[in-house]
Amino acid sequence: MLKFVLKRVVYMLVTLLIIITVTFFMMHSIPGDPLASMARNLPEQTRQNYYAKYGLDKPKGEQYLIFMKNLITKGDLGESIRYPGRRVTDTLMTNSVVSGTTGGLALILGIIIGVTLGIVAALNKNRWPDYVVMIIAIMGITVPVFVLGALLQYFFTVQLRVLPTTGWGRLENLVLPVIVLSFNTIATYARYVKSNMLEVMNQDYILTAEAKGVTPINVIKSHVLRNAFLPCITILGGQIASIFTGSFIVEKIFGIPGLGFYYISSINDRDYTMIIGTTVFFGALFVVAQLVIDVVYGILDPRMRIKAKD
Amino acid sequence: MKTKRMLCLLVSLTLIAGLTACGGGGGGGGGAGGATFTSFIQDEPSTLDASKCNDLYGDAILVNVLEPLVRLEEDANGNNVAVGAGAESWEPNADGSVWTFHLRDNKWSDGQPVTAEQYVYGIQRLLDPQVGSPTSFLLVDCVKNGNAVNKGEMAVSELGAKAIDEKTLEVTLEGPTPYFLALTYSKAMYPVRQDVVEAQGDTYGANAEGMVFNGPFTVTSWVHNSEIILTKNENYWDKDNVALQTVDFKILTDENARYNSFENGSLETVNVGQPEWIDRFNQKNDVTFTQYVVPAIRFQLYNTQDAIFQNEKIRKAFTLAIDRDDVVETIYHGTMIGAYGWVPQGVASGSISDYTAGAPEPLKDLISENGDPKALLLEGMAELGLGSDPSALDITFTFGATTQWIRNYGEYLQQVYKNVLGLQIDLEFNEWGTYQSKINSGDYQVGYMTWSIDYNDPMGMLSLMVTGAGAIPTGWSNAEYDALIAQASTEMDDAKRQELYQKAEYILIHDDGVLCPIVNEMVNRFNYNKIQGMCTNYFSTNSSGLKHVSIAE
Repeated sequence: MLKFVLKRVVYMLVTLLIIITVTFFMMHSIPGDPLASMARNLPEQTRQNYYAKYGLDKPKGEQYLIFMKNLITKGDLGESIRYPGRRVTDTLMTNSVVSGTTGGLALILGIIIGVTLGIVAALNKNRWPDYVVMIIAIMGITVPVFVLGALLQYFFTVQLRVLPTTGWGRLENLVLPVIVLSFNTIATYARYVKSNMLEVMNQDYILTAEAKGVTPINVIKSHVLRNAFLPCITILGGQIASIFTGSFIVEKIFGIPGLGFYYISSINDRDYTMIIGTTVFFGALFVVAQLVIDVVYGILDPRMRIKAKD
Repeated sequence: MKTKRMLCLLVSLTLIAGLTACGGGGGGGGGAGGATFTSFIQDEPSTLDASKCNDLYGDAILVNVLEPLVRLEEDANGNNVAVGAGAESWEPNADGSVWTFHLRDNKWSDGQPVTAEQYVYGIQRLLDPQVGSPTSFLLVDCVKNGNAVNKGEMAVSELGAKAIDEKTLEVTLEGPTPYFLALTYSKAMYPVRQDVVEAQGDTYGANAEGMVFNGPFTVTSWVHNSEIILTKNENYWDKDNVALQTVDFKILTDENARYNSFENGSLETVNVGQPEWIDRFNQKNDVTFTQYVVPAIRFQLYNTQDAIFQNEKIRKAFTLAIDRDDVVETIYHGTMIGAYGWVPQGVASGSISDYTAGAPEPLKDLISENGDPKALLLEGMAELGLGSDPSALDITFTFGATTQWIRNYGEYLQQVYKNVLGLQIDLEFNEWGTYQSKINSGDYQVGYMTWSIDYNDPMGMLSLMVTGAGAIPTGWSNAEYDALIAQASTEMDDAKRQELYQKAEYILIHDDGVLCPIVNEMVNRFNYNKIQGMCTNYFSTNSSGLKHVSIAE
């Protein structure tokens, strides 16, 4: 197991290095620069001073080496170019907590409701509860968040006036964004749990259990659910990584100071340090989450351990 | 002599008018509990460091928390007047090349006195190449030795900005600069505290903590991308006339979120760009609607080095083919206003409060002289030997955006040119960065741009088109135009300067048809009736901020 983990950590670092390098040179190859994004032609001297200030006058290769050196020796991702004086690492840390709070709550809510709906649908296959759940699931996947967000915002804050329209810092600010963010998760898990349960219920060992006289409730509890949940852990990895990176649209609609904003704005602004910072952050979270999922999988599923030994 | 007397008169008038400006601030005083005004900004400010801030969102905060030398405020009739703010009074020398400002007693939020040295440091910092300010262009050609300092050839101490004593600031300019007063209320000349900047280093301006302020308000909290809270500055010299206790600026990038917030009262003012929301808010009976022109122009630029657009008749035909009333109606649904000149409405020229009010609009003359744009196009084509079939022309319009809006707009133009000139234009949509490099290298025929004026003088627009300015690369050069602008830039007599500006603008738009003005932007603002004393035009709004705003109980 230790050897397995070590090997994976090395792979992880190599993956990150590739992500950083590719991102670095790709972002510099897009036309335009941080000053051009300010939407006007500035006098030459103004531009030169500005480029010199942020080291953008140096050759790309040198900029890359400086960046890597600071990252490896100091863990420093540099200063934002668009927002002078702000360290990229500070922005990542502060804003990912905000995104993590909304995203985490949404994920928990989504899983609880999604799994419940999935079980209900599987146990009532081809009967009305199944249809209702699947309609909800299809809506959750097809209705875009900006539509759902705008609708809920209008209904609850303009028509009913029971919740704040925008803002951050109070409990009631969380309600609408969490509901909107959880919708997709609900839909995903409802469908996933349903299809996995149906698959498990057709397995021979369920028949065996039933034949042995295990009560239906216990068959579901200790045989069907356990096995049906395993594949769900696979999709959890990616979702855990993305809760910290936030959602641009939901943040925008509800005025939440999350991290999602920076993923889009940094590219539009050509804020090079922020682009690479956000990319590295997501890359790192994603590979770490995958590693954790793999390890957890190994613990939960004996078949995986046997495969690993082979 | 006459000009000097006029300036003295202006200065004394402004001091008197200052007492009545912007409704006078109502009852004032704030009082226990105090009034909170919830407003908004449309995006996160890049920084609150006045020397580095280059967006409107940061400007909207800075004007409320720092004290410029002069503020532009509205008198009882809604006209703008320059009123002493950080400076109690000021006077230029006879030719307008040395300006002396007498500061009033004011304190920073930490109790330190405001001194002339701090205004000098603000100017030095803007031009210091080490700071890399994106707005240094505002002063670089104006303050003595600005260019040499900005290039790093001279020390910042060589700049023509000096503190004569603690309360007297003297600014020496490269030459007579009639519009210099307009720069004193732009963001270029805020006072900056050297000790605070040095203590905080590069992080100065990134957060509210540790910053000091000397304007009507102080920033007490800044949650990035969420909200900025201002609190009345008890050390402010004119605090008795500041009515608001707290201002809550919510940072709302989403248009609908802003409208919903205004609808349910969680915002007390909002700017609207959608006609259906304007109609809806107009039905509320407790709101006031204010509409004013923003000195920003949306225009087409022609590449005068292009094989086709080198011909001025063809350029003019393309300009005339567009019906500005129809654009305002069809594209903007009345939220913008047709532009018939290069200098937008509401820009002052010294003591003349609106340049366009007294200037003939060059495009209107062009329209009345040429009934049929197509005939003009055919004339131009004949001059170039391009035959008599407009549909044979190969013409591409280049845009610097890829949004749905600009695509719709492009299709509208296609329709217009097909109907009026009988030709099919091609559309090319680029991301802004790509667009800019194409325009700069002359790789375009017709481009589309927006420009907003940097300071309150027609020079802010007209100087852009001088040979070699490079801001709007049309490849056009006209010696007569250059001479007129050079002459205007040192002409201290407002009426004479106005005349020079008009001649130059006429050459640019009417004679040579280099640019095609389309619309000027407008602010369509609603506020609840209880919010009083809000300014009603662009420059006063952006120069006096919320100092005189109050809330009726």
